[in-house]
Amino acid sequence: MGPDRSPNRWPVIALSNIVKRYVMGGNDVYATRGVSLSVSSGEFVAIMGASGSGKSTLMNIIGCLDVPTSGHYRLDGVNIRDLDDRELSRIRNRKIGFVFQGFNLLPTMSAIANVELPMAYAGVPSKERRHRAEGALESVGLADRMGHFPNEMSGGQQQRVAVARAIVTDPSLILADEPTGNLDSKSSVDVMSAFASLHAQGRTVVMITHEEDIAAYATRVVRLRDGIITQDHHQTPSHPHESHLAHARQAEGSSALAGRP
Amino acid sequence: MSILANALMALRGINSNKLRSLLTMLGVLIGVAAVIVLLAVGTGSSQAVANSINRLGTNTLTVFSGGGFGGGTSQAGTQTRNAVLTQTDVTLISDPNSAPDVQSVSPVVTTSETATHQGASATTSVIGSTPSYLPASNYTVQSGRSISSADVKAHALVVDLGSSTASSLFATGSNPLGKQVQLGSSEFTVIGLLASKGSSGLSNGDAVAIAPYTAVQDQLTGESQSFSQLLVQGKSSATLSLAQSEVESILAAQNDTTVTNLPFSVLNQASLLSTATSSSKTFTALLGWVAAVSLLVGAIGVMNIMLVTVTERTREIGIRKAIGAPKSVVLGQFLIEAVVISLLGGVLGVLAGLFVVRFRIDGVQPVLATYSIPLAFGVALLVGVFAGLYPAFRAASLRPIDALRHE
Repeated sequence: MGPDRSPNRWPVIALSNIVKRYVMGGNDVYATRGVSLSVSSGEFVAIMGASGSGKSTLMNIIGCLDVPTSGHYRLDGVNIRDLDDRELSRIRNRKIGFVFQGFNLLPTMSAIANVELPMAYAGVPSKERRHRAEGALESVGLADRMGHFPNEMSGGQQQRVAVARAIVTDPSLILADEPTGNLDSKSSVDVMSAFASLHAQGRTVVMITHEEDIAAYATRVVRLRDGIITQDHHQTPSHPHESHLAHARQAEGSSALAGRP
Repeated sequence: MSILANALMALRGINSNKLRSLLTMLGVLIGVAAVIVLLAVGTGSSQAVANSINRLGTNTLTVFSGGGFGGGTSQAGTQTRNAVLTQTDVTLISDPNSAPDVQSVSPVVTTSETATHQGASATTSVIGSTPSYLPASNYTVQSGRSISSADVKAHALVVDLGSSTASSLFATGSNPLGKQVQLGSSEFTVIGLLASKGSSGLSNGDAVAIAPYTAVQDQLTGESQSFSQLLVQGKSSATLSLAQSEVESILAAQNDTTVTNLPFSVLNQASLLSTATSSSKTFTALLGWVAAVSLLVGAIGVMNIMLVTVTERTREIGIRKAIGAPKSVVLGQFLIEAVVISLLGGVLGVLAGLFVVRFRIDGVQPVLATYSIPLAFGVALLVGVFAGLYPAFRAASLRPIDALRHE
């Protein structure tokens, strides 16, 4: 691994001069004040910053959950400004896989049904849906938990179900918002190993975090403060907490997802 | 995403909160059942009214002495009290030359007496008349014989008993024919038993004793010159109003007055039936509106619960939208949920309605109005769509970013 600058990469994210302005009590509040950022395919980027730095706003814009006040955003070559509500949901469905801090699984559905859900919205036939959901759950090491409901699983397991849900549609971008924020350190290692293995398979991952040792898994760290980028550097990822167990799981996950971009 | 998959998702939503879904359904259930039951009660009671009017006889006019029925005829005060229905009137009306559209005319004297037989007693209306009274008022003799013209001429103390009077006085299995029944202070011999006409809540047509009018006048009313009613049977329903004007002209001539000032009221069975039918239609419609109000309350219940559901599941909606659910799918999911709740409520309501309709309600035997089932069901469906539309639209319009932030 390491910072990847090989020529057959294309820009997945191209943000140019993104400004997001809110009106609060009659005053203009700027969440981002002109952020320009390009992320190439295969990168594993950690966006860091204290609360109020604008990183959540940036994440919502990158995830097509919010639109910027000004500036341009191209996701996988598509200009997001030109899209209506229906097309935005298509983009979220096909091109982005979300992993949230609070897992955000549907509590009334089993793990496999949760993983199938984005494919149901994409209109994938049910047999194929089941097959692909099984593959995704195996790749995050949850082959034996498919029928379990979220309340029957640990936080780490729930987050790995969320990771499976994020990758099952084979998106251009995996977008994670504080994925370990609600987890203990053991579960954090499990989840971060899953991300590291996704990166190893060539997937593009953008992760918001405020923890240095979580950011250490990334190949590139972007720091935000007061709505602007203050630092952007490439690094060699290190896995500070990695245990033998996590290594084993990573290897297992890699083989299950082999053959995918 | 297919409608079927969306419907399955909606069913899962309903299933995840069974008690609430059930209570919401109950609102629609009661509304739908109320529509069916109340319309059935309305239909049942209008049939009962029609039956009891038909029991008056077939193509009959009833002339009441003293007027006053329904206030339809006006009369000068002194004339009213003096005017009586006499044997001369009967003779004239039965003359085919003066009244060609009249089939028969039966003078009637009535009184209410307690009939007794060996200690058993029954309150019964005693009708004194002629043999033509029985066919004109749709009485048929089940056993024994009808009173005859000879009985009338002979002032014979004989009586035909209605089925409920007979069953009150005589033990089942015993043969009342030839037995003595005391009416007032006189003993009458039972010569015939009448088939049941059924009762309809208004009056019991079977609690009667029919005797020659001469005997009733002699023994019970003590009057020999006048009758309380004349029962006139027309030749056909088409000529009943002709018969009515013939009867009215004869009576007007007899009392030296005009038809408009006739001191008697003439009740035309056909016009009574049409009046009663139209008033019972109003009654049924009124009941229908009452039921519609309860269905409306059910609809508000569905809407209310769907709004609560949308608020409660805001986060779920946010998750679904974040992972790519388009507006139409979210709209469909909540709309289908409301429609399914309403339809299930509708089905259960129809079943409940069909069950309740089998019982008498307040003396009325409900008669299922077949149109009420598709009506109630269709309205339940509309309720679902309309009550679900606004909450579903609210859910679909939520911005995923706000919905995800919702705790």
